[in-house]
Amino acid sequence: MRALGWLLFVLFLLYLFLPLLAPVVYSFSVVWQGILPQGFTLEWYRRVLSDPQYLPAVKLSLLIAFLSVLINVVVGFPTVYAVYRLSGRVGESARRVLQILPLLVPPILVGLGFLQAFNRPPLAFSGTLWIVVFGHATLGFPFFFRSVYAGLATIEVGPLMEAAAASGAGVLARLRYVLFPNVLPSVLSGALVVFAISMGEFEVTSMVAGFGTITMPLLLFQMLREDFRIASAVSSLLVYTTLLALFGMTLARRR
Amino acid sequence: MRRINPDLLFLLPGLFFIALFYLYPVAVIVVRSLLAEDGGLTFARYLKAFTAPAYLEAWRNSLWFVTASTLIAALGGTFVGYWTAKLPLRLKNLLLSFYSIPVTLSGLVVAFGFIVLMGRNGVFNQILLALGLPRLFNVYSWGGLLSVFPFYNIPLVALVMTPVFEQVGRELVEAARASGARGFAVWRYVLIPNILPGILAGSSVVWALMMGAFGTALAITGFAKNLLALQIYSLVSESSFDLPQADALAVVLMATSGLGLWLLARWERRWRR
Repeated sequence: MRALGWLLFVLFLLYLFLPLLAPVVYSFSVVWQGILPQGFTLEWYRRVLSDPQYLPAVKLSLLIAFLSVLINVVVGFPTVYAVYRLSGRVGESARRVLQILPLLVPPILVGLGFLQAFNRPPLAFSGTLWIVVFGHATLGFPFFFRSVYAGLATIEVGPLMEAAAASGAGVLARLRYVLFPNVLPSVLSGALVVFAISMGEFEVTSMVAGFGTITMPLLLFQMLREDFRIASAVSSLLVYTTLLALFGMTLARRR
Repeated sequence: MRRINPDLLFLLPGLFFIALFYLYPVAVIVVRSLLAEDGGLTFARYLKAFTAPAYLEAWRNSLWFVTASTLIAALGGTFVGYWTAKLPLRLKNLLLSFYSIPVTLSGLVVAFGFIVLMGRNGVFNQILLALGLPRLFNVYSWGGLLSVFPFYNIPLVALVMTPVFEQVGRELVEAARASGARGFAVWRYVLIPNILPGILAGSSVVWALMMGAFGTALAITGFAKNLLALQIYSLVSESSFDLPQADALAVVLMATSGLGLWLLARWERRWRR
C-alpha cells in the first residue's frame, strides 16, 4: 500500500516533468519522428532569434512584459501598503476581494471586456500595444499584490514608518526610501511572477491584440499549425523564462 | 470631523486600477449583452443562449468537463499534497517550487508538450506501436483533454494541501485515538474536518479557472470540442463575429462559475465551524 502510494507519486512527478521536457528535447533535435529524437542542433533557436519573421515577437513580448511589471510596481506597491494599513474589517474584505477577483473575472472576460471598453476616446487603446500591456498588468495584479502583501506582513511596518517620520521623512520619502528597500525581495518576486505570466499569456492577447502585435505565444499558436521545430524553440524559450523567474524568486526569498 | 488617515490616499491608484480594468469592462459586457441595436433593452441574446442547441450543448459540456476536472484535481491534489508533506524539508521546498510552475507557464507550451507526447504520432503511441500494440493515446479526445488539464490543476490543489497535511500530522490522529476515537470516528471528527476546507478552497480555484480556460483546449483540439469559453472565443475571433452574443454567453459563464464558487464556499464554511 505504501509502496503503491510512492509509485503513484513518482508517476505524478513524471507526468508533471515530461511535458516540460518534451519541447526542450524537441528544440535541440534535428528530427523527432520515432520514439527517440535524432541529432543535435541549435538551428531552431538561431532562426527564432535572428529571422526577421520571428525575432520581433521575442522583442515585443519582452517589452510588453517589462511594461506590465512597471505598471504593477507603480500601482501595486502603494495599494498593498494602503490595504495593509487598513485595519480590521475593511482591510480583510479588500484582501478577500483581490483574492476572488481573478476567479470571478477570468481572462476570457478580461479580453472580451477590454475589446469593447477601450475602443473610443478618451480610452481608445484597441489594436495598440497598450491594450495588451494593460491586459497583462490586470491579470498579474492579484499575483503581485499577494506576493508583496506576504512580504509586508513579515516586517514591522508600523515602528519602521514611525521612526522614519520622527527623523522628518515625508510620507512619499518614507515609502520610497524606507519601506520599499525593506520589501524589495517580495516586490522582486511579484515582479517576476507578473513578468512570466505576461511572457506566456495567450488568451487575452489573442482577443485584444491587433494584427501587428504578434507576441511569442501568438507566434507559437501559429507555429503549432505550421512548423513544429519553430514551435519547439519558442516553447522552450517560454519554459526557460518560467524557470528563470522561479529561480529568481527563490534567490529573492533567501536574501 | 474625523480626520482621514493619509495612508488611505495610497489606496486611490489601486481603486482606480480595479475600477478601470476589472469593474468597467465587466459592466460593459453586462450592458452590451442587454442593449438592442436601436438602444432599447433586449433579452434576445439570453433567450438564444438558453435555447440554441449549440450553446446549450456548450454549457452542458462545460459543466461536466469542469466538474470532472475539479474532482480529478481535488483527489489528485490531496493525494500529492499528502505525499509531499511527508518528504524532508529541502526536497519538499523544491517540489513546492516545481508545483508553482504551471501557474506562470504558457498554456500553449503545455499543449505543445502534450501533443509531442500523446499526439497521434506522439512518443507514447510510437512506443505502443513498437510493442505491437494499437495507438491508445489520443490527446484530441475528451479523455485527452481530461488528462492534460490536471497538469495545472493537481499542483494548484497540492500547493494548498501540503501545508494542511503538515499540520494534520500523526500527533493529531494519535491524540484522537488516545481519547478513545476509533476508525470511522477518527475520519469523521478529526481528519475530514481538518482537510476538507483546504480541499474545497483548492477546488474553488480550479473550478473557476477551468470555467474560463480555453487557450490550451483551442491549441489542441481547435473548435472541435464544444465548450462555453470556446464558443465565446469563436464569437470574438471567427467569421461568426457577434460581440453582444459573446457578452451574453460571458454573463452566463460568470454566473455559472459564481454559483459554483458560492456553493463551494457555503460547504467550506459548514466544515470550518
